[in-house]
Amino acid sequence: MIQVQGLSKSFGKVKAVQEVSFSAPDGEITGLLGPNGAGKSTTLRMLYTLLKPENGTAKVDGFDVTESPVEVQKRIGVLADARGLYPRLTSRENIRYYGRLHGLEGELLEKQINSLLVLLDMQSIADRKTEGFSTGERLKVAIARALVHNPKNVLLDEPTNGLDVMSTRAMRQFVLRLREEGKCVLFTSHIMQEVAALCNQIVIISHGKVSAHGTPDDLRKQTGKESLEDAFVAAIGSEEGLE
Amino acid sequence: MKKIFIIFQKEMLDNLRDYRSWMTGFFWALFGPLLIGGMILMLGNTFRESAEEPLYLPVLGAEHAPNLIQFLEQQDVIIQPSPADPQAAVIAGDINVALIIPENYGEDFSAGETANVQLVFDSTRQSASVDIDRAEDAIRSYSSYIGILRLSLRGVSPEVIRVIQIEEVDTATPQSQALIFLSMLPYFIIFAIFNGASPVITDATAGERERGSLEPLLINPLPRGWVVIGKLLSAIPFAIITLLITLGGFAAVFQILPIEDLLGVQIGFDIGALTAVFLVSLPIVFLACALQTLIASYVKTTKEAGTYLPFVGLIPALPGIALAFLPVKPELWTMLIPTFGQQILINQFLRAEPISGMNIFISASVTILVSLIITFIAVKLYEGERIITGK
Repeated sequence: MIQVQGLSKSFGKVKAVQEVSFSAPDGEITGLLGPNGAGKSTTLRMLYTLLKPENGTAKVDGFDVTESPVEVQKRIGVLADARGLYPRLTSRENIRYYGRLHGLEGELLEKQINSLLVLLDMQSIADRKTEGFSTGERLKVAIARALVHNPKNVLLDEPTNGLDVMSTRAMRQFVLRLREEGKCVLFTSHIMQEVAALCNQIVIISHGKVSAHGTPDDLRKQTGKESLEDAFVAAIGSEEGLE
Repeated sequence: MKKIFIIFQKEMLDNLRDYRSWMTGFFWALFGPLLIGGMILMLGNTFRESAEEPLYLPVLGAEHAPNLIQFLEQQDVIIQPSPADPQAAVIAGDINVALIIPENYGEDFSAGETANVQLVFDSTRQSASVDIDRAEDAIRSYSSYIGILRLSLRGVSPEVIRVIQIEEVDTATPQSQALIFLSMLPYFIIFAIFNGASPVITDATAGERERGSLEPLLINPLPRGWVVIGKLLSAIPFAIITLLITLGGFAAVFQILPIEDLLGVQIGFDIGALTAVFLVSLPIVFLACALQTLIASYVKTTKEAGTYLPFVGLIPALPGIALAFLPVKPELWTMLIPTFGQQILINQFLRAEPISGMNIFISASVTILVSLIITFIAVKLYEGERIITGK
């Protein structure tokens, strides 16, 4: 459960995020949709405690991101914008490192790693050094290490970026599966069709502000447009981000 | 706190697998011992040759001055036939010095006028300076010997032209020249420590950021200070191994080379002194790791780190270089400067001088304190947003 209230952040004179509010309940997929540079990643970075909000609050399962960051960190699994791996470590070692940093160890940790390797269909690359992995393979390792501690809240920043068609499909299946497990999934995308296909509710962000918010049906009603695509364009006021 | 160890363990594994980096680092650790060994070898040979061996002097036109040649031979100079073009031979480096006696030497000499001879040499060639000086001295003494004879023949006392007699009292010994090189030894020790730590630290900090793995790492539930400390600690074993290789290299050089024959001086580099130098250097290991962690965290890329870190190792070495030319007494204030105090202490160990325990304690404490402050600043840097945004 993620609750965001009046969140703002500037870098120098640039107001990256202004008064953003929304909530993402458990067992649902919430999509942050907006063109590149709209403030999606900055919002997410405040949620996963790397940036401090200037104004407003953000809470994960009731814990405030500024007041108790470590409690928040324990409850979130994050696929960040930067998703670098350690090229001299194998996939398994990369995942194990994060598991240990979350306080897992021994058999419990190894079992959890193995089940993620199966779930993400990556047994064949489990014990290879990650140097030279394809984008899709790297993404799998990054997701596995983000979920190694079985977090209740999952934050994914542009998870399908750079993937081919098959990998994108697999990724979408995986996100749906997380919802079935009752997790709170928050993900950002600039691709309207993807958000429309997956999300229970959509938060459209442009120029750092929430310009529309609701279920796909709500959005069509709010903007008075028949198709979601038109609704999106009406909400952000331009055709940026339609692919 | 256990998570510091997890970070440490991962960085060790990761960096051990980067074997090309640390193999190169360990190889460079032998640079100092090899350089010093080479210099001692050359210096020792120069002493021996110049002191013991006769001077070989190629002479062109020896037949014009048989008396001079005879005198020189009495002075232990071995006269050799000169190449046809002595200047070219000196330029080419075939000979160090050559004497040219012109045809009209005999005429001038007999007439009692100043007779000219030419001494051909290259004054910039250090290795030739002993030969040049000896040849010049020998010819001068012949000149003054004849001059005195001529004055005596005319009934004038030779004292008339000898207004002042300089007696040279030179306290320098071959040993003190050799010790100049020994003063550079602490410099190489400190440089080795910095060099051993820098690849590991660069990879763990600037490299982590460049790979894009820093941001996900910092989302894990642990204080950022522990991340910094774990990374800093992981560089320490590498720095210590580099230090040991350098010290071992110096020990080997001093064991293998017949130092006493070469320099006529003993160097106190037995196991005891080696251990003492190692222990005195340990606080510098901490300082090197802390300082480089701070700098490599501040820069944006590994390339940028690569441009700064070698100079960082050079800065503490500067006083050491100065030390080679301006000996400083081990006073209290020198112990308050990290790395400078240790350099003086290391020098004292090598010369087997008596060492104040107080000085060791103060120098170690100050260095550790400064390193702790630097570590604290690095932690603060990691706690800020700049580490993420780079702004």
